[in-house]
Amino acid sequence: MAGHLYRWLDERLKLESLKIALLEEPIPGGASWIYVFGSVTLFFFLLQLITGMFLAIYYSPTTDHAYESIRFIMDDVPFGSYLRGLHHWGASGMMVSIGLHMLQVFLYGAYKRPRELMWVVGVILFILTLAFGFSGYLLPWDQRAYWATQVGINMVGTIPLIGDALVRIIRGGQYLGQMTLSRFFALHTLFLPWITMVLIALHLFILRRVGPAGPWDEAQASRFSEPFWPRQVYMDAVAIGNAFLIVAILAITMPAPLADPANPSDTSFTPIPEWYFLFYYQLLKYLEGPWEIVGTVVLPILFFLALLLLPWIDRRKERHPASRRAVLAAGAGFLTLVFTFLGLSLYEVATMPRMDPSVLRGKALYQELDCAACHRIHGQGGLVGPDLSYVGDKRDRDWLIRHFKDPQAVVPGSIMPAYNLSDEELNDLTNYMLSLRKH
Amino acid sequence: MEHSKPSSAESPDESPPRRTFLVRVTAGIAALIGVMVGVPVVGYTILPALRRRELGWADAGPVSTLPIGIPQEREIVLTVADGWKKTTTKKTVWVVKDEAGTVTVYSPICPHLGCGYRWMEGERRFVCPCHNSVFLLDGTVVAGPAPRPLDTLPFKLERGRLFVQYKEFKAGAAKKIEL
Repeated sequence: MAGHLYRWLDERLKLESLKIALLEEPIPGGASWIYVFGSVTLFFFLLQLITGMFLAIYYSPTTDHAYESIRFIMDDVPFGSYLRGLHHWGASGMMVSIGLHMLQVFLYGAYKRPRELMWVVGVILFILTLAFGFSGYLLPWDQRAYWATQVGINMVGTIPLIGDALVRIIRGGQYLGQMTLSRFFALHTLFLPWITMVLIALHLFILRRVGPAGPWDEAQASRFSEPFWPRQVYMDAVAIGNAFLIVAILAITMPAPLADPANPSDTSFTPIPEWYFLFYYQLLKYLEGPWEIVGTVVLPILFFLALLLLPWIDRRKERHPASRRAVLAAGAGFLTLVFTFLGLSLYEVATMPRMDPSVLRGKALYQELDCAACHRIHGQGGLVGPDLSYVGDKRDRDWLIRHFKDPQAVVPGSIMPAYNLSDEELNDLTNYMLSLRKH
Repeated sequence: MEHSKPSSAESPDESPPRRTFLVRVTAGIAALIGVMVGVPVVGYTILPALRRRELGWADAGPVSTLPIGIPQEREIVLTVADGWKKTTTKKTVWVVKDEAGTVTVYSPICPHLGCGYRWMEGERRFVCPCHNSVFLLDGTVVAGPAPRPLDTLPFKLERGRLFVQYKEFKAGAAKKIEL
């Protein structure tokens, strides 16, 4: 039946010659497990495309509904948490596989003439992948998203002369808000996927025109070749299968995080970027004052320029690592720095002091009782009652508890209602009030 | 990498059993991923669409102020969950309390084609202005094209207040079929 259908289609679409063209691509030196990472990266891109399209069915890119729509996906939609988990962990998987793919190409000197264009397109694809990661982070509109994006965009502001204008353009206005979410959503789901798909096609087109590089030993490369199908396809499939299983298990056992809804008035939140930006986040901690611009502008530009121009920096024909010691040492040095900073950052995150749970409960109570209808904290909330931004500096525990129990007894003529709070709630709310200090 | 066959042009194929193994493993992995993504994606898309909305109990006011034997149109506020979006809408229901104190709640929609009907105190009948269906106080049809009696709604009495579960039913059907 399947064979009959295939013959019917082949007669009309000439599938047989297409199949040969697609699968008979000769691999110099034969198939190898070391070549699987490009295919794994492509697989993760497709997985992101599919899971992303389905997430868009329930997602709403507005500041007043984005969070609820993600909560809905996580709590109410069957398989919602799993699919969002696949998208979340798939992003990390894509970062890992693109990193390994680049490392393999780097180690094998496969970017050298005549494959410079394939490398340049690949570096642009890497930058697009980072842009995917950054823009996608904002979309859930939770505390992590809001504050990490706030910090990320503000870094652009340190660029001399054009920094301020750039920040406004990225934000879509003066403040991080609806305009930011709208353009990040469009970027993440429309602009980036299309640009990426076109560049992947170009990357593969160049691969097919110029052919894979094969082993660094030219003698070994030219001794024999083997078609892409079936052994390399099999190896790619096994690698993809394993990578997918890891991501699927992570998606089931560790659902994608969703913090509290974004709250611009809650400055107590410490934003932490995704792990693939962590080393950079850590690096910036050491560069203060006049050095800051080195971290936010000079180093990134130098890094990406060096990456793009690598085929012209390391231009000798020789691909064997033993005869490219300087370039490999530079690469190893860079990776050592990345992993050192990543390690330091992970250590700091793990040992970061956690917020007192009582203060957190008090804060939740503050929201539950809608205290912000009358009171203002850091610019958010009403102006009927006193501003509470630094109330912890002005009042002590005893005063606060007496006041919550009977506002009029402490402040005659106050219009604040007496809430009937339990002792524990009183304690939590007071602890939250006392945490609101200048330092 | 002991694989040292001559050029593919001379000998393109692996030995047949080995080749079959490679193809089967490749196809198996493709099928596994297909199922592990395909099934969830289908469930994710269609199950919420098929799920029946859960109805809450809407407050229709105190029972004590209902007049005996005269239907009263009561306003209720419904909180409807439309996916992640919670909206409140206002609806009305007809409430009848008879001499024995038994309460009946009617859907405000005529079972014929979905118009809103009224109570005519003079004739002591419910009349639908669209096609002149006429109903008695107990909901039975006495005239017009309505195919079934007025639709009753579930309710409960709690602390002297009436709570109603608002539902809609298929118009024009001889039986009461919930939408």
